[in-house]
Amino acid sequence: MVLMAEMTYREALNRALDEEMARDDRVFLIGEEVGEYDGAYKVSRGLLSKYGPKRVRDTPISELGFTGLGVGAAIAGLRPVVEWMTHNFALLALDQVVNNAAKLRQMSGGQLSVPIVFRGPNGPAEFLAAQHSQALGSYWMHVPGLKVVAPATPADAYGLLKSAIRNDNPVVMLEAELMYAWKGEVSEQEFLVPIGKARIAREGVDVTLITYSKPIRVVEEAADRLAEKGVQAEVIDLRSLRPLDEETIVNSVRKTGRCVVVDEAWPLASPGATIAHLVDSRCFDVLDAPVELVSGEDVPMPYNHTLELAAQPSVEKVIAAVAKVLYREDV
Amino acid sequence: MAEVLRMIALSPTMSEGRIAKWKMNEGTEFSSGDVLCEVETDKASMDYEAPTSASLLKIILQAGGTAKVGDPIAVIGQKGEDYASLLKERASEAGVAEKKAPGQQPSKEVSQKEKAVPGKTEQEPGSTPESAPQSDTENAPPRAPKASPASVGAAPRQTPQAPASVPPSSPLARKLALEKGIDIRLVPGSGPNGRVVERDILEFAERPKNTVVPEVAPQELRQGPTVIQPNMKRLVIARRLSESFFTAPHYFLKKKINAEALLELRATANAGRPAKLSFNAFLMKIVAEALVRHPEINVYWRVPAAASAADAAASPEPPTAMRPILEQRHSIDVGLAVALPDGLITPVVRDCNLKSASDIDAELAQLIEKARGGRLAPEEYEGAGFTVTNLGSFGIDEFTAIINPPGSAILAVGAIVKEPIVGDNDVIRVAQTLTLTLGCDHRSIDGAVGAVFLADLARMLENPGMALV
Repeated sequence: MVLMAEMTYREALNRALDEEMARDDRVFLIGEEVGEYDGAYKVSRGLLSKYGPKRVRDTPISELGFTGLGVGAAIAGLRPVVEWMTHNFALLALDQVVNNAAKLRQMSGGQLSVPIVFRGPNGPAEFLAAQHSQALGSYWMHVPGLKVVAPATPADAYGLLKSAIRNDNPVVMLEAELMYAWKGEVSEQEFLVPIGKARIAREGVDVTLITYSKPIRVVEEAADRLAEKGVQAEVIDLRSLRPLDEETIVNSVRKTGRCVVVDEAWPLASPGATIAHLVDSRCFDVLDAPVELVSGEDVPMPYNHTLELAAQPSVEKVIAAVAKVLYREDV
Repeated sequence: MAEVLRMIALSPTMSEGRIAKWKMNEGTEFSSGDVLCEVETDKASMDYEAPTSASLLKIILQAGGTAKVGDPIAVIGQKGEDYASLLKERASEAGVAEKKAPGQQPSKEVSQKEKAVPGKTEQEPGSTPESAPQSDTENAPPRAPKASPASVGAAPRQTPQAPASVPPSSPLARKLALEKGIDIRLVPGSGPNGRVVERDILEFAERPKNTVVPEVAPQELRQGPTVIQPNMKRLVIARRLSESFFTAPHYFLKKKINAEALLELRATANAGRPAKLSFNAFLMKIVAEALVRHPEINVYWRVPAAASAADAAASPEPPTAMRPILEQRHSIDVGLAVALPDGLITPVVRDCNLKSASDIDAELAQLIEKARGGRLAPEEYEGAGFTVTNLGSFGIDEFTAIINPPGSAILAVGAIVKEPIVGDNDVIRVAQTLTLTLGCDHRSIDGAVGAVFLADLARMLENPGMALV
């Protein structure tokens, strides 16, 4: 019998780090406030005292520097986990990730590998204004040579972080500040979640709702409300953005004939736009309506809270998009 | 969100429509299915039903105006919505808003019933030669292919000539329609801009009285007939020809002619021409010359709408206003029956007596090409004084035809066949012959009158030089 424990997303990540550091002494954690402060969001709580300062390294505010240090350590044979306080700050480290981590395996003809995990919160939280409220998944998803995962539940956060640490390629993990406190059941038994495999969060036949990361709750609430109106929505939680689980997406849309993609990133060149294109090209013959994209609004995030909420995907926006693809006004 | 409401194809052949009447004012709220306006198509008047529930924000095309299928006619949306940008966008679209109905009968209220019987109550079109369609040979396009039997069975699906007749539809709807053997053009679309979506196909498939052309296996043939909903054009053909056949007392005169001189004339005229003049053009030219000499054939018999045959019989002397009238036409306007995949149509060449055979040929080619695209305007197929129908290309020896009202006579032309004839000095020889059958309305043309005309026409066809005399 598999025992289940209820834990937060934060605790699930902590457990994964702890288990992997215990399993493999090449694994170490590096970033701002990860040690003495137990992590800016308390993900690394207790790890410094357990594994010591050699394996839990606090750094100055220097994203390009410590990200590059991690890439070098990975090339040299360690398995670093680099924590970015947020993905907004990781923009400073783009060069190390894009030009080094993502390229060296291919450019060295396989002589080098870069087994590294970059992780931290992505996307808007609350009251953080334009510079700290960005969903930047496409910056990583865009780059061949990287893998990108975006778990939306504690169980997936645990299982995907463990898979990411064990992967021999650079993996970027998108978390979210508001998700760290989310609770969910996680098996007490150790398990892995494969990279590149989506999860069908809810089965349905009328419309496929595709999302990843934090908007899953908006989408699930929309699906509940739609069910009251007799619309059975299928919800797909992508879990991985690169590689994308095209088969799960395509099989679902072939079943429903209608698709709404929900993504909190801006609409242009976003993960959601790419997925909408994928559905359009692979499911064209079975679509009964153009694919709808519910995205973040195409503006820098307003600080005003009312506008801040209005700029993000909402249950109402998702339902309106579903009504559009169903050609119904009564949902 | 405010959106532009466009003219949709309200019948399979419709390429443009004229707003007869808006059923509501700007600002009125409506529900999906409400009638927004009445639209006169080329054949009938149809209701334009709301595709969705909203408010009528702005009427772009006023009553009396004409729009091509796909052109904007109004803006709909939520009350108070700003649609100025939509209108601005549309301004670049060929200034449809300014387009008004052609000058004819804007004030004269023509009821739907009358309108549905073209020519019945309308002004005599032939009396104004300047209204005739373009006949300038310099502007005539290259010859269009003749109406041929091959085109009759051609699959009409997504023909490039008539893109307007294929409604917007979702890929899933098209796939389902194909699987279920449904002609998607017959399915009313419930999506935005009349888009046919999955539920429309499913509903259509479930309705008992619709066009379903399944691929039937032999054992399924016993399941009984498939019910086909005729299109508007077919209904009009049915009504007009029934009316003609059951009210006009037809009689038929038959005459076999030697076609050699006519064929020789055609061969001579065509020598060195890259595009050959059609046989029908010569036929129509000589028919026109015969009509000049026999104006008694070029007449309309008109019965006022209220004066039915029963009324006329009940009272030997009906009031003057109710009496039928005989109209003597003064222009020679000859129609030619053309078979199209979606039904017969009769384009009319005006003033054939004033035109050469090559003029007539060029004009025919232009009219037939338009007819194939479903773009023939009413003034291009209504108001023939005399009609020619030719089934020679089908190998038919001779046949009788139904008069094309309000005309009084129709000439049915059979195939040119080699037959033994008794020639000069009683020598039997083989000649190219042709059988003409003249159908006449006895109310306006007595048998002897028709016979004189046919005999004269035959003489002119056998000796085309007579047309000069």
